[in-house]
Amino acid sequence: MVVIGNGIAGSTAALTLRAEGYRGSIVLIGQEPDAPYRRPPLSKGFLRGEMAAQSLRLYTSDTWTRLDIKLLTSTTVAAIDTRRRTVDLGTRAPLPYDRLLLATGAYPRPWPSAHRLAGVHTLRTLGQARALSRQLTPGARLLVIGAGMIGLEVAACARVRDCQVTVIEAAPHPLAHLLPAEVSAPLTALHRARGVGLHTFVHLQDLSAGDNGVLTATDRSGRSWEADVVVVATGTRANAELAGEAGLAVDDGIVVDRYCATSEPGIFAAGDVTSQPDALLGGHRRIEQWANAQEHGVVAALNMLGKPMAHVPLPWCWTDQFGTKVQICGWPLAADRTRLSGDVDARDFTATFHREGLLIGAVCFNRPAQFRDLRHQITLTLPAVDGDGPG
Amino acid sequence: MKSWQCLVCGWIYDEEHGWPEEGIAAGTRWQDIPDDWSCPDCGAAKADFEMIEITRA
Repeated sequence: MVVIGNGIAGSTAALTLRAEGYRGSIVLIGQEPDAPYRRPPLSKGFLRGEMAAQSLRLYTSDTWTRLDIKLLTSTTVAAIDTRRRTVDLGTRAPLPYDRLLLATGAYPRPWPSAHRLAGVHTLRTLGQARALSRQLTPGARLLVIGAGMIGLEVAACARVRDCQVTVIEAAPHPLAHLLPAEVSAPLTALHRARGVGLHTFVHLQDLSAGDNGVLTATDRSGRSWEADVVVVATGTRANAELAGEAGLAVDDGIVVDRYCATSEPGIFAAGDVTSQPDALLGGHRRIEQWANAQEHGVVAALNMLGKPMAHVPLPWCWTDQFGTKVQICGWPLAADRTRLSGDVDARDFTATFHREGLLIGAVCFNRPAQFRDLRHQITLTLPAVDGDGPG
Repeated sequence: MKSWQCLVCGWIYDEEHGWPEEGIAAGTRWQDIPDDWSCPDCGAAKADFEMIEITRA
């Protein structure tokens, strides 16, 4: 068994293979220098400076030797030979596989002209978080491009560290890909109250560096913002090149069925890299969320072992900004009716989302216990998957 | 004294240190934490999410 990608999907799959009684060889390959770690705090506690890198580690250091899982870090896979069923590691001998799991994740979309400019960052890995964190010094001017989840989290962390923070967003409101305006509004208000300059409807045209190292972002209407540090947080792309070159079906992400099977026999995929069946709306989509990747890793391992299990994901995620905990699940944007209860201004409220009378989504501000119940209820409304197994 | 780890996000509750931020004093045992308490990191509930006992390195 070979697993490419040691993020939460890949590492969970490797551990599940062992836990399910598989006794053969397991190789877990990661591109980053670090053993598996928790990514969610990179844009929360770690970037606020409250957590050390050590505390992000996911498993004890003896886990891999104890379970006889060969962990290869700082290792890039050059190619997959689907005919010979081998993985080409470049300098090493080709690695044969019976079953292969692609859990290569996603990477932040760079700003086309800016990826080589000093002071321009993206945030996905521990290395990137460290580099960004070093530049968030008090008084530094930070410009965040994109008011999605990562963008808002970075902005909140930087304000806590006394940076001057501006966020620009092309959409009409923050988190527009996740939430309707009325539900993201309290979070927007919180950012503004804490001194974040938040500008929507901004269509960035140019990002450049002056001789003095100052970065300047200019939008289509000619407005400009100067900054010492820029974070580009405009979404991700799937790390699917390897799969595409090997001839697997790729459409935004690696296309998988509910059983994590790709278009190539013997090759499975899980986590952020996949384009997977949407449990409610039909079609395929990527779900770029920690909890989904974790569950997907478990399901992939079972299917690799010939124990058919369908993944019927209920998307859910959490964030933590200026001490406010927001949890989101389901399909808020697909609702035909929204109900709010609680005190919106005090950020102590629940939004439920309904479609044709069914509860299909929920957002809780600072109400984790209620969120748990709602999330469970929505799971029950998801369409059942026929038990025939993979076709 | 034991430590418990949230299986969703990996956050660790250490009985020795408690979680004073939310009024859980140092030395509070896992079974004495209220059932409606939830993970300070991801919000997973105590009752809903399995916590694993981890051994000290």
